[in-house]
Amino acid sequence: MNKNKSRNIFIIVCISPAIILFTLFMVAPTVEVFRMSLYRWGGFSNTREFVGLDNFKVLWNDTNFIQAFQNSIVLIVLVAIITLVFAIFFAAVLTKEKVKGDNFFRVIFYIPNILSIVVIAGIFSAVYDPSTGLLNSIFGVLSLESFQQMWLGNQDIVIYSVAGALVWQAVGYYMVMYMSSMASIPASFYEAAELEGAGKFKQFTSITLPLIWNNIRTTLTFYIISTINLSFLLVTAMTGGGPDGSTEVFLSYMYSQAYGNSTYGYGMAIGVIVFTFSFALAGIVSHITKRDVLEY
Amino acid sequence: MKLKKLFIALLFILAVVALAACGDEEAGGNSGDSEGSDDGEVTLHVAALESAYGSEVWENIAENYEALNENVTIELTTAKNLEEVVRPEMQAGDYPDVFLLATGREEALTETLIKENGIENISDVLTMNVPGEDAAVEDKILEGFTDTLATNPYADGEMYLAPMFYSPTGLFYNEALLENHGWEVPNTWDELFAIGDEAAEEDISLFTYPLAGYFDTLVGSMLYASGGPDFYDSAMTYEDGIWESDEATTVFETIDKLADYTHPNTVANANPNDFTRNQQLILDNEALFMPNGSWVVGEMAEAPRADDFKWGMMPIPAFEDGGDRYAFTFFEQIWIPSEAKNIDAAKEFIAYMYSDEAADTFMEAGAIQPIEGIVDKLDGEQEIYYSIYEEGDVLPAMGTFASTEPVPGASITEELYEKIDSVMSGNITVEEWQQAVEEVSDQLRPAMN
Repeated sequence: MNKNKSRNIFIIVCISPAIILFTLFMVAPTVEVFRMSLYRWGGFSNTREFVGLDNFKVLWNDTNFIQAFQNSIVLIVLVAIITLVFAIFFAAVLTKEKVKGDNFFRVIFYIPNILSIVVIAGIFSAVYDPSTGLLNSIFGVLSLESFQQMWLGNQDIVIYSVAGALVWQAVGYYMVMYMSSMASIPASFYEAAELEGAGKFKQFTSITLPLIWNNIRTTLTFYIISTINLSFLLVTAMTGGGPDGSTEVFLSYMYSQAYGNSTYGYGMAIGVIVFTFSFALAGIVSHITKRDVLEY
Repeated sequence: MKLKKLFIALLFILAVVALAACGDEEAGGNSGDSEGSDDGEVTLHVAALESAYGSEVWENIAENYEALNENVTIELTTAKNLEEVVRPEMQAGDYPDVFLLATGREEALTETLIKENGIENISDVLTMNVPGEDAAVEDKILEGFTDTLATNPYADGEMYLAPMFYSPTGLFYNEALLENHGWEVPNTWDELFAIGDEAAEEDISLFTYPLAGYFDTLVGSMLYASGGPDFYDSAMTYEDGIWESDEATTVFETIDKLADYTHPNTVANANPNDFTRNQQLILDNEALFMPNGSWVVGEMAEAPRADDFKWGMMPIPAFEDGGDRYAFTFFEQIWIPSEAKNIDAAKEFIAYMYSDEAADTFMEAGAIQPIEGIVDKLDGEQEIYYSIYEEGDVLPAMGTFASTEPVPGASITEELYEKIDSVMSGNITVEEWQQAVEEVSDQLRPAMN
């Protein structure tokens, strides 16, 4: 009994620094965001007016917010799906096929991930430049003038241009994650499958995919969180939310309302929605992708 | 079991502590309290935006001021991202005594304090003597600078922000290009569009703009030219139906017409990363005119340019022959937060900003104060820009939107200027744009403070 007690005290002492820090820097600010979303407040003065759920009512009818929300969802969905496909494909090729210089490719694919997002914005604004940009020049050389676009000027496609940059920077990171779990699949499985006459594609769908499924599920949550965060940074650095709000994402809209429009409480209300939305989305995705974990 | 109980108890205590910690702590710092000791020593905290003029100029100013006032020590904060640097300190109750930070910045710190009544009334600075000189401040400041909504945000005749470095704005162009083609500098919009038609035949676009936000000075001048100063004030104070009036419609439709003459790459480059490419179009003779301020000359100083390129600046054209032409004057502001600890010393410091000594120091860095006789001291290109108002029919335009209480989701500058990108790309019609502006004006009218 006594031993048990001292053990418990030891455990509590050990975990309390982490809990204190977590409460102070994660729980408390989050509670504060929820609390501030119920006030009308500019950010500095002592005149805070409690307005209940008024901020959320305004939000419901704010077409700019709805546009920003749509843009964010488009980005999350597109970036997650496209990155997933590319990352798994490259990971499978680099682990299973004997590609010359595979280590070189691994490094090349990973480089975008260590670049600052501001550098990526610079790179892509050069790629998308209407007259001298890489993309339009290539189409020009190939006599495909009809494909030339105002990548950052045409409001119908600019959000896809942003998605393109986000995919480019994310592929390497997820590829390395998938490669690590693919490398741990015993080679004997593939040898057996080959003897049974299974082709490469069949091997991929019946052995590789099921065995890295848990890894994929984890990364789906990462896609959601990182796209929400990185899209804000990229949009701020590259397009400024323009032209006319067509690349505004909900975090950049939150920022512009909380500071630019001096409606801090309203900004926090947007924060609450973003917080709830990302939690709910990650929960739903995690739930519907749940499978029995295969052991090997 | 016991572990669990202990754990929950611990969590509970932590939650209480955390919530108590984030409860409202009324910031101390009563305004008017002097931080200085009994012998009159004052430490004045000055926060200044590090703009194109650099931060060294502020160090020189601080040095000069300390030499003039031996009991004052200046603690200087200068940064390009001044808002981000001082905001946390301010939220902790530690306010700088003097701010040089203009309205119209993305972070809108100045606007936030205006909206929250957090700026000190400094009307009495006008009657103060300029330190080290015999003149009163109001006698030195150029006429018209202290009775605009940019200095008196509540439209009540009281000055809360004092005017600092000013720049005339207008349409910038390459003088050599116009001369080589025999095009006269246009006085009216019709003349401008006529040049546009001729230029189009030579594959030169008539117009481009760096960012949609640069329309603030262009639209301002156009509103003045279309309806005069009273009309402009009505628009800035959100008068009902003002944006649907004939005068405003003329402005909206002219900009819509301008869309046909705008360089096709403009919208794609009109973002914070690429806006200099639009300015480059002028240097490369690909476009003729752009709205800008005299700072563009320094901003593009290192950029390559066409042979015999020479900057020219003209006021915004009139709507009819012989009509008034306006050139908007952009200026930065200096102000004192109400929470400042040394308000009297701060006012004294602001008065010093209008001394000849300070003006000369600023001028060395390229920053021009709105002081009587300053234009005579300028030379070269600067003299050309700052003497724009000396042409007979050119009038100065100044001002900004009246301050309102913060209204969630409603921003007149977003609707009026940012939507221009959509008008230019043909995504919305001019009627939709006009309606959006009127709607947001309706929302802001009852919130005016």
